[in-house]
Amino acid sequence: MRPLLHALRLLVGAAPRAMAQGAALSVVVLLMGAALLGLSGWFITATGIAGLAGIGIAFDVFRPSAGVRFLALGRTAARYGERLLTHDATLRALAALRVSLLRAHARMGGRALARLRGEGVLTRIVSDVDALDGLVLRFVLPVLAGALAHVAVFVALVWLIGWAVAAVILGTYLVAAIAVLTWLGRRAMAPAAEAETQAQILSRGVIDMIRDREALILSGGLGDAENRLTGIDTQARAATARLDRVERHAGLALAVTVALAAAGALVAGGMLLSSGVIDPAQAAIGFFVALALAETLLPLRRGIVELGRMADAAARVMVTSEDAAKSARAPQTLPGTPLLTVATPKAAFTLGPGEAVALTGPSGSGKTTLLLQIAGLEPAEGVLIYGVAPADMDETDLRHRLAMLPQRSALIAGTLRDNLTLAGPADEADLWEVLDAVSLAEHVRQRGGLDAMLGEGGSGLSGGQARRLAIARALLRRPQILLLDEPTEGLDAETANAVLNGVRRFLPEAAILAALHRGADHPVFDRAAML
Amino acid sequence: MTRPGTQDKNSPKQRAKDRIIAPVSRDLNRAGWLAVLAGMLWPVQAAVIAWTISGWVAGTQDLGGTILAAALFAALGGLRAILDHRSGAFLFRAADKTVARERAAILRREARRPAGTGSASIAALTVQKVPVLQPWITRYHVAMVRVSVLPVLFLLLSFSLSWVVGLTLLVAGPLIPVFMALVGMAAEDASRKQMVEIGAMNNMLLDQLSAMTDIRLLGATDRAAKDFETRAEGLRERTMAVLRIAFLSSTVLELFAALGVAMVAVFVGFTLLGEVTFGSWGTPLTVGEGIFLLLIAPEFFQPLRDLATAWHDRAAGYAVVEELDALDRAERAELVGHGERAAPLDGVFHLRSTGAVASLPGRQIRLPDLSLDAGETLALTGPSGAGKSTALAAIAGLVPLASGRIEVCGQPLGADTADAWRARIAMIPQRVHFPDIALCDWLSPQGADPGPALDMAEATGIVAPLPDGLKTRLGETGGGISGGEARRLMVARAILAGGDLILADEPTADLDDVTADRVIAALLRLNADGHTVIVATHDPRLAKAMGRRVEVGA
Repeated sequence: MRPLLHALRLLVGAAPRAMAQGAALSVVVLLMGAALLGLSGWFITATGIAGLAGIGIAFDVFRPSAGVRFLALGRTAARYGERLLTHDATLRALAALRVSLLRAHARMGGRALARLRGEGVLTRIVSDVDALDGLVLRFVLPVLAGALAHVAVFVALVWLIGWAVAAVILGTYLVAAIAVLTWLGRRAMAPAAEAETQAQILSRGVIDMIRDREALILSGGLGDAENRLTGIDTQARAATARLDRVERHAGLALAVTVALAAAGALVAGGMLLSSGVIDPAQAAIGFFVALALAETLLPLRRGIVELGRMADAAARVMVTSEDAAKSARAPQTLPGTPLLTVATPKAAFTLGPGEAVALTGPSGSGKTTLLLQIAGLEPAEGVLIYGVAPADMDETDLRHRLAMLPQRSALIAGTLRDNLTLAGPADEADLWEVLDAVSLAEHVRQRGGLDAMLGEGGSGLSGGQARRLAIARALLRRPQILLLDEPTEGLDAETANAVLNGVRRFLPEAAILAALHRGADHPVFDRAAML
Repeated sequence: MTRPGTQDKNSPKQRAKDRIIAPVSRDLNRAGWLAVLAGMLWPVQAAVIAWTISGWVAGTQDLGGTILAAALFAALGGLRAILDHRSGAFLFRAADKTVARERAAILRREARRPAGTGSASIAALTVQKVPVLQPWITRYHVAMVRVSVLPVLFLLLSFSLSWVVGLTLLVAGPLIPVFMALVGMAAEDASRKQMVEIGAMNNMLLDQLSAMTDIRLLGATDRAAKDFETRAEGLRERTMAVLRIAFLSSTVLELFAALGVAMVAVFVGFTLLGEVTFGSWGTPLTVGEGIFLLLIAPEFFQPLRDLATAWHDRAAGYAVVEELDALDRAERAELVGHGERAAPLDGVFHLRSTGAVASLPGRQIRLPDLSLDAGETLALTGPSGAGKSTALAAIAGLVPLASGRIEVCGQPLGADTADAWRARIAMIPQRVHFPDIALCDWLSPQGADPGPALDMAEATGIVAPLPDGLKTRLGETGGGISGGEARRLMVARAILAGGDLILADEPTADLDDVTADRVIAALLRLNADGHTVIVATHDPRLAKAMGRRVEVGA
């Protein structure tokens, strides 16, 4: 429940004013609906009485008929306003939810970040966020507006007619709504979770079956795999069917509630009428109002059914920010302290300004892990930057001093400039200089300059070009320590040579540590460290 | 050319209906008529109320009569709810059948005869998009049936009491279909815009999440979040501009409904007072008739409003059907045989290919002539795209032949021999994929001890540091193991599969020399163990280690 409240705070907090105004207008819409039908019922009955009594001329027709017209127009206008405000607020909330998700994920460790590249993980996150989108619009707002409308109607009916009618309506709606919706919430939880789980398993299963197709065919297991997935689909649909059944039962109970509330209001009105407290026109109001209040109840069904799924999604998506307040030490540039000291069981070396070391070793020997440890994305023992462990450094300070090209660098959709200036603005001359350093300037000119667009994930560039753009992006940070994980991957020997020279030329003072499985003997490296 | 007013047989909408609605039309019609029946009970309930209140006004209705009327009203309300409940059951059944049918078709086809569409988008279509058909099936059709019966019925009832009220509804009613067209279009547009908006925001989110390592390492987290906010804000402003207009047109529909009720109420009131003397048939309108008309008026508009809200469900359904249709039309790679388990093919191992031409979607590739006996090793070499991988696939029966023949153990490779032939083959594909299962199950689905095979592939040292050893689920990103490690695990998997013939596609690509040597050594050990080995490669060292070499595409 806590993550759900956290999500709610976030969603409402994104646009509290618009949300509050939207909620207020929802209440107005419900109240005007009840008032329109109640007033119309009263008006017809009252004019009937006056007509029969022959005092039609004396009857004040102006105010009620104007009221009816005002309520009809006002309700429509309020509905329009409500829709605009709540949608506006929801769109803001959608953005806020996603931004908070981005920030939370940015704090994760290196392995967790690497997992974010899997399509399964990503689609799961997106489907969770989508589920939370409905929290306010489909659950919180209708519950709140419905409850407020009922309270207001209760007060008005006590004043207009009497306790009996007001109490019957509020009592029937309140008791039945709480009972039915609680029942629905409980009964829907398990099948909703089951349906979602099976859907996720099915989704993974489809991806696995298609990607592992050849192996499945060779082992003769294709038919089995298809049968297994069909079985999962049957289970998923069975859960959906159970969900549909409880939802329909609840719908039946809610419709009966409305009929009972209206019938109860009719009887209560009849009782007050027969005891002579009110006239027939007043007695009719309760029935019509009770009928109109059906609008408060029926939209709740969907929101309640989805609540389990939302709670589930919130628990996964709302990652708590636990390590925000950590004491950070600013490293001192003491004379004689090496820029970078590595003393792990696998490797021991130091690195000073202007030095470059090639990190070598067979694949799987831990090159990438060591670089991630230095970059503070993996827990580390024996790694010091100016004598301070990366984990103890302030994140901003660490990123300021150190830049890293990860093994599988990723670009974003946008222009070349967007990609280069991801970490901060840079002037035109700098951008061209860095592109020149990675031998990409000529190609960028051919594409029409820095404002050429790239597709999702930077598509449109070849593997080697994308790699060089990612190197350029790291160089632009002008770090004191530059970590490069396989910088020449996908580059031919000539380009690789030019890029390594260009990197050194662009950052003559930086300490460079590059993990390579080819070209460790390149002249830019002062030494090689073997893992 | 389409004549106006008629649906073209081949229009996308007609095809969507044929595909989705026609197979379940029986259930849908039953559901529709149950819903109509439920709607027809309302005038009866309204009459009960009208009778009670007019009795109150006339002073003829005592409390007993009121209680009786209330009970009758509630009972009819209950009956209505039950009819709707039953109708809903038919609708769900129709939707469920449809989802089951469409999913089964995809599940039984996409791995067997892949179309080259990404597995993630197939998964999204199967799991997330096919259920989008449900609201269309359950809401739109029943709303359509109701709209074609109930308003007409309520109109006739209104006319029978007062021609002015009837006329009011009649004018407002047909105006609504006109507005419906406008509103429908606007609503479709609005919902599409909103879907596009959310889709665009989600794509932005995906893009940034998958670049998150880079963003973090560049210290760009704040900037990326701010950038996201700015772009989301821009999207919001554009969407709201559209929604302002779209909501306006749907407001018109509500306005008509609200005004319809208000006009009926005011007209009836004035008539009852005697200030309006026209509009009814001979005898003046009574209180009961007035109440009845007031209760009928909103229900006259309700089916129209339901239809309007179901409009975008239909649009969303059409979009899904279009995707399903496109997938149906896609060109597919065919499979020889069935991919089912079979007893290994009898006979002495021998492989011969003569004049074989592989048939791929959209093109044909000439394969080299081969003749291979048990225990031999062979390298297929040649430039990228020459057909090395296709040759391996054709030998495994993963690709059909357009002409020529492949003979295995003395029999032609065909639908009846392919499964049995594959029971003698193990394959090391170029691309690694770790499904979401424990490593030991992936290595050997039959549950054999993977120890010796891991030793032979020099992969024991890879498993040891994994968090749960052989029980680790590597998952789609490989759980942090390197490319060379993954390749060695695939070799171990091929050893466990235990075929006479090992097919390896570029087993040393992207590996450093030390690791490549290990993989080559593992393949040679397999050969020494009696396995026949065919590799497709452009690594000269691997080619040299093989006994023979055949140039593909020469």
